[in-house]
Amino acid sequence: MSCPKCVALSRRSLLVGGGVAAASLTIGMAEARVLPKDMVPLVGPGYRPTEKDEQGIWQLMDRAEEEISGSNLLIQDPKLTGYLRDLIGKVGGPAARDFRIYLAHIPDFNAMMFPTGFAVVFSGLLLRMRNEAQLAGVIAHESGHFLRRHMIRSWRDERRKTDIFAVAAMAAGVGGAAGGVYLGDYVQLAQLGTILSLFQYSRAMEAEADAIGAKNLAAAGYQPMEMSTIWEQLIGEEDASARYRRKHRRRGSLFDTHPSDQSRMVDLRADAAEVTEAGKTYEIGRERYLSMIAPIRSMLLDDQVKLNDPGASQYLIETLAKDGWNGQLRFYEGEVWRLRNRHGDDARAALSYAAAVAYPDAPADAWRWHGISLMKAGRTAEAKSAFTRYLTMKPDAADAAWVRQAIG
Amino acid sequence: MMPHTKLVVVALAALGLAACSSLGAGEYGYSSYAFVPVRRVNVGDNSLSVVPPRPWNRHRSILWSDVEDVEDWTLNGPYLDGISFVSGLKGGRYLIRQSKRASQQVPKFRSDMTPPEIVAMLESLYRIKGGAVDFRTLSLQPRAFLGTGGFQLDYEHLDSDELWRKGRAVGAVINGQLYLILYDAARSHYYAAALPDFESIVGSAQLRR
Repeated sequence: MSCPKCVALSRRSLLVGGGVAAASLTIGMAEARVLPKDMVPLVGPGYRPTEKDEQGIWQLMDRAEEEISGSNLLIQDPKLTGYLRDLIGKVGGPAARDFRIYLAHIPDFNAMMFPTGFAVVFSGLLLRMRNEAQLAGVIAHESGHFLRRHMIRSWRDERRKTDIFAVAAMAAGVGGAAGGVYLGDYVQLAQLGTILSLFQYSRAMEAEADAIGAKNLAAAGYQPMEMSTIWEQLIGEEDASARYRRKHRRRGSLFDTHPSDQSRMVDLRADAAEVTEAGKTYEIGRERYLSMIAPIRSMLLDDQVKLNDPGASQYLIETLAKDGWNGQLRFYEGEVWRLRNRHGDDARAALSYAAAVAYPDAPADAWRWHGISLMKAGRTAEAKSAFTRYLTMKPDAADAAWVRQAIG
Repeated sequence: MMPHTKLVVVALAALGLAACSSLGAGEYGYSSYAFVPVRRVNVGDNSLSVVPPRPWNRHRSILWSDVEDVEDWTLNGPYLDGISFVSGLKGGRYLIRQSKRASQQVPKFRSDMTPPEIVAMLESLYRIKGGAVDFRTLSLQPRAFLGTGGFQLDYEHLDSDELWRKGRAVGAVINGQLYLILYDAARSHYYAAALPDFESIVGSAQLRR
């Protein structure tokens, strides 16, 4: 089948190659836990760079932000973007009012802070967060990179050590983004991700961002322990995905600048304990979070499940269901089986659809797939009534003509 | 949370190579283009034949071979428009070659798939291999194809290169094998420009007996 973007992606791999090579030379330091109490912000409100190299980077990044803010991959819903802005306003420390935050429609677990204080959150992150404290924790961590001036520190560090790699890759990446050069049809946001990969954070910097993040999270009244829970969820998801494909999750490789998973989780718990004050209550904000993302949750689940990564999707759905099963989650559980499409999966999917439609919140699509399952099982009369229910709920369904034919 | 930035970018780059198994990435010299004349031509594994209303270009990968039952054409280059022919894909087989160990997999075709299931398979193809971040089914309706009851799918998708593309697929499952002609083009200008070609090609399609 035709795939228009292959060329562009190959180009990207060249750029990434440069970035990764540059990074690989800077890691490997031994580390002790970074204490939240030692983590003072290195920038104040309204920070502007005064030195030449940093000013240059800011200039480039301003252009980058201009491009990002105009991208049609952004989710522009003012309620959601306002929500993110409010959160970074709570956990962003002294720079809280200076941050900008964008929500990109990309189904990956990711968020990133750019050197000038604007952050991009991927929609896949919103799917994976179980409550407001978790989302605020990620944002606090990202803000921590800015507050500790990690980008410029790592840039200076790397330029000293790996002049050739970094400068070459930087020229390729930034030349394309900022100069408006057409580098193939290549996602602008990801291209900037490539630029970002030049600002590699060391393990020590990640630990700093965790520590200052935990401190700011707790100061804003959120349960800081949720930060380690996010990490646990991420590891669980990657393990589940790899297990399905009979692979091992990559761990502790040379290129992995992050503290090893276990030690990071342990450190995050210690951070949380350190910043927790006895007698003070910390909120999780689950209800508020769920109601905030309710309008896009089925889109987020669609984006994930249709990638047909059954291990990860099943893990995610079960993680979300820890807060209670409902028709929506049962429906997507069925979708995971149906798309996995191994022997016996059609029966598994049929059971999930049947379970989904028993819930009052079952989405219309659950009735459609319930109907298709019944039809394929030869239960025609029941199939027709499920299809009828589907069309009642969604009279202008895109596939209404096909469904009407199936009803006969 | 930075844990994944680099991983994700690298993973995407790797996907690009895998995805190229199905594309003629012309400027890298991995593919060949061949002229398609205005007369009846066999496509895919030659079990299907069509007549284009004007010359098109067939493109095939050299380094990575596509599945035999699928053939790709383009008028203005694969970024802008393309027609793919699926000529009798058997149950248990895939639309594209992919590693069994890839985390994300385009579902396999099964002989008893209904049109909505085929649509879901195509949607996953676009999301996984095409980098679509949004995919909308505009309409799914019955349509006669190759002398039998088939379906027509209209859809559009926003790809990670920030371009909206639009497509139409006309297909049918005959004796448990999938026959499909799929047209996909940049939504602005290109889609409308070659839609009549597509319709004429679909109208001309014949099974080789």
